[in-house]
Amino acid sequence: MKQLNYYSEVTVVKTFSDMVYRLAFSHTRNKSDADDIYQEVFLIYLRKKPQFKTEEHRKAWLIRVTINSCKKMWALPWRKKIVPLNETIVFETEEETNLHYELQKLPMKYRTVIQLFYYEDLSIEEISKALKQKPSTVRTQLTRARYKLKEILKEDYYV
Amino acid sequence: MFEEKYRSMNEQIFPDQKLVDKIIYSVNKSESGTMKRTKIFPNPIIIFTMLIVSAITITPVLAANVPAIYELMYFVSPTATQFFMPVQKSHEDNGIKMEVVSSYVHDNIVEVYITMQDLIGERIDETTDLNDSYSINRPFDSSATCQLIYYEESTRTATFLISITEWGNRNIIGDKITFSAREFISSKHEYNEIPIGISSANINSSPSTKQVSTVGGSGVKYEKHFTKYDNSAEVLVPTPPMDFPIKGIDLTGIGYVNDMLHIQTSVVNNLTKDNHGYFFLRDKNGNQIEYDYSVGFAENFDKDNRIDYNEFVFDIPQSEIKQYSFYGTFVTSGLFTEGNWQVTFPLEEIK
Repeated sequence: MKQLNYYSEVTVVKTFSDMVYRLAFSHTRNKSDADDIYQEVFLIYLRKKPQFKTEEHRKAWLIRVTINSCKKMWALPWRKKIVPLNETIVFETEEETNLHYELQKLPMKYRTVIQLFYYEDLSIEEISKALKQKPSTVRTQLTRARYKLKEILKEDYYV
Repeated sequence: MFEEKYRSMNEQIFPDQKLVDKIIYSVNKSESGTMKRTKIFPNPIIIFTMLIVSAITITPVLAANVPAIYELMYFVSPTATQFFMPVQKSHEDNGIKMEVVSSYVHDNIVEVYITMQDLIGERIDETTDLNDSYSINRPFDSSATCQLIYYEESTRTATFLISITEWGNRNIIGDKITFSAREFISSKHEYNEIPIGISSANINSSPSTKQVSTVGGSGVKYEKHFTKYDNSAEVLVPTPPMDFPIKGIDLTGIGYVNDMLHIQTSVVNNLTKDNHGYFFLRDKNGNQIEYDYSVGFAENFDKDNRIDYNEFVFDIPQSEIKQYSFYGTFVTSGLFTEGNWQVTFPLEEIK
């Protein structure tokens, strides 16, 4: 097991800011919601000041809290009835903008595994540990997500 | 390629610098002591002082009904204890009683103490883990956590503290919360860096192997052996369980494949146990050698007698293996209990 150096809280915020924000955005596909979740995750972190044996554990904890925060936000009854503001990020190319909008069609439960697998480069076992789900569940979600993506993207890309 | 475009799109997503600065400002406030926070285990002198002060000044509302849980609450958060609203709503199923003891609303945070007590056996213990089966339903925008904070052996009662943080600055007094749980794992046992008595004579130099589809893997050199989309691995054909000191985990193979040492373990029906762990080696100087990679695979995937395998692979030549000793760290659980426990309670303030 790796023995880790002391990580100051500022360092943790700086190190994991992009990861937490991107994960929140991948789930919500909405800047305003991602802003809220980003703040919530780090405020929980600062309030709890959890201790970890390894940096992998710290990362997994932050992933899990981010996903839980996303899920809880979408589970609210009033949330399902509102029309979200079309507040998003301006991407450099039309292709990326289109991809962003197409990803909104992907069921939420699949957006997380896609983000963790394709962007954070986590293995299925690492995703299963971070999300505290069985590897078989993650594997099934990833397979179904790829299938859905192929449908949504109409085979524009090789998934 | 999808991955390329997805990555390129993601590179353009990051929080505004103002947002990051706001969080860093919170860190500084926290470090300078101006940010409000709860200290889980306060200085013993403060605890002792607060116990005496609390014993003298405790309000009649709480004094009228003081179960052991309040003593714990004094320990965890002495100054806040007098503001906890007694709830005492309970639900019993499968001989396990779940009770919401008290709640405390302050600022945008709700703290709730919940106990689970085994009325007929000893299934609840200090290792009780709700196994991600719990849910906290509430009608406001928030995040929540649940953690085991105390176990009272004489009454076989585990106490959980639920913390809920409301996000939207709205008044949540009067709202109702439902806490529910479906299962828990208990009787966990940790084996930390224990020696595993494997004799080099028992290591098979030409074991039978097979190709399997893995369900994941790990290790410092995992990427060296597997590409991202490669889920096929050569593993040992499982043998009947050999001598192994961990109850709940079977040693089902050890041998050399392509001059790499493979050690295989298995767990039957692990979805109700979550037994897991890993091996490592030590040389004669006490240096620790980690496995290069591990892979997981399963048999009887969707059936009741599913078997989950883990295979750990070390890059130690067979001619040198005598110079190393085997060690392992494992966690097993002995009990899996299912039920349907659910309590709904209102958030109230002590006037």
